[in-house]
Amino acid sequence: MKRALPFLVGALVVLIVAGVALGAFLWTRPPELHGTLLQTDESPRDFPMTSVDGSSSTLADLRGKWVLLYFGYTFCPDVCPTTLADLQQMKRLLGDKAEDLRVAMVTLDPERDTPERLQQYLSAFDPSFVGFWGEAPQVQEAATRFGVFFEKNEVEGASGYLVDHTSIVSVLDPEGRLRYVFPYGVKGADMASDMQWLMD
Amino acid sequence: MMGVSDGAQDDAGDGLIFRWWHILIAAIGVLLLGLVLFVTVQPIQVLPRMTLAPGFLLTDQDGEKFTSEDVRGVLTLYNFTYTHCGADCAETGSVMRAIQERVREIDTGGVPLRLVTVSFDPERDDPETLRTWAEAQGADPALWRVATGDPAQLKAMIGGGFNIYYSQNEDGSFTFDPAFALVDGNSIMRMKYKTATPDPEIVARDIGLVVSEVRNSSGATKIAYEAAHLFVCYPP
Repeated sequence: MKRALPFLVGALVVLIVAGVALGAFLWTRPPELHGTLLQTDESPRDFPMTSVDGSSSTLADLRGKWVLLYFGYTFCPDVCPTTLADLQQMKRLLGDKAEDLRVAMVTLDPERDTPERLQQYLSAFDPSFVGFWGEAPQVQEAATRFGVFFEKNEVEGASGYLVDHTSIVSVLDPEGRLRYVFPYGVKGADMASDMQWLMD
Repeated sequence: MMGVSDGAQDDAGDGLIFRWWHILIAAIGVLLLGLVLFVTVQPIQVLPRMTLAPGFLLTDQDGEKFTSEDVRGVLTLYNFTYTHCGADCAETGSVMRAIQERVREIDTGGVPLRLVTVSFDPERDDPETLRTWAEAQGADPALWRVATGDPAQLKAMIGGGFNIYYSQNEDGSFTFDPAFALVDGNSIMRMKYKTATPDPEIVARDIGLVVSEVRNSSGATKIAYEAAHLFVCYPP
């Protein structure tokens, strides 16, 4: 028994180390994710556009909360309302945890999307959704940097033109760093599941 | 006899406890060993998911619109230059040509792959000039696209999005940091080569890693790939 004691102590140390290592692995192991987790420690992101509710003069003003950033426009016939509805559902499913995040949309059509129109449009989905409006060059630069292509396309009908655009949702952490990207088409419940994991 | 009997029972009891401990320790040990082997031997290597590549709207050598949406789902290697660069950029062109030849040998298993050269000199690099340059480089139009765009958008794309410095001098030439960037089909930058002459073998290896991940990262294997990302199983 005495001879076995050093072995036991050694085994216990191995056990504890192994347990901690495995626990850390299992705890940090990503569940089934619906977007892409970015790994680099890039600088916080910002753009100088004013929020249409007057609460923020830059994206950086939202730091301290997780931000789900989308680029769209109010005349958008299908993709934007679908994505915003998914974001609305995600927020509802997160319950109290949703207090720690903000959903923001930058208009890709500053010509027609007046700040008032944008505010009204977003409020119809959720009063807490933040709209950002900027001059065309500001919008161009911000969209490009967030991986969004957009282009006006003239169409027949009252709207005059549509804006073809990339439809992704970028997730910034409370420090303003881009951490996650949802592709188009991720449902609200799946977004909520991923955000729950990201925010824990 | 009683003492011997008690001792035998103790030994038997200890033995039973030790057997459970042994099994537990062995199981965790095996798992731990597997984890250590996974991290050190790296049976699966991945490239980091660095950042979101920029969105863009360009015009290519045929005068066709070329956007970041056109390469969604396509593994793309970008480089940045201008056709009037002359002898200073000769190496960059030859490296891209060597990469073109090398990637032809890679079995991508259906994962589409493209090479894209972006000119930051739209003033002089109209489609015809780009096409002439591409032909001189031996660019296969089916594989290698050459494009440029509006100066403001180029600055946002190359400078802001790819984080590559360039600036036009008074004589029309450009000062720039040569770089290549590998972007996956989800528009995530996976590697940036901060050199005018990346080794085509290294680039081919990296393309192979992303292709393997795209082809194999599903079901249970996906967890292994996620673990490889988690434990930073990157190539040296």
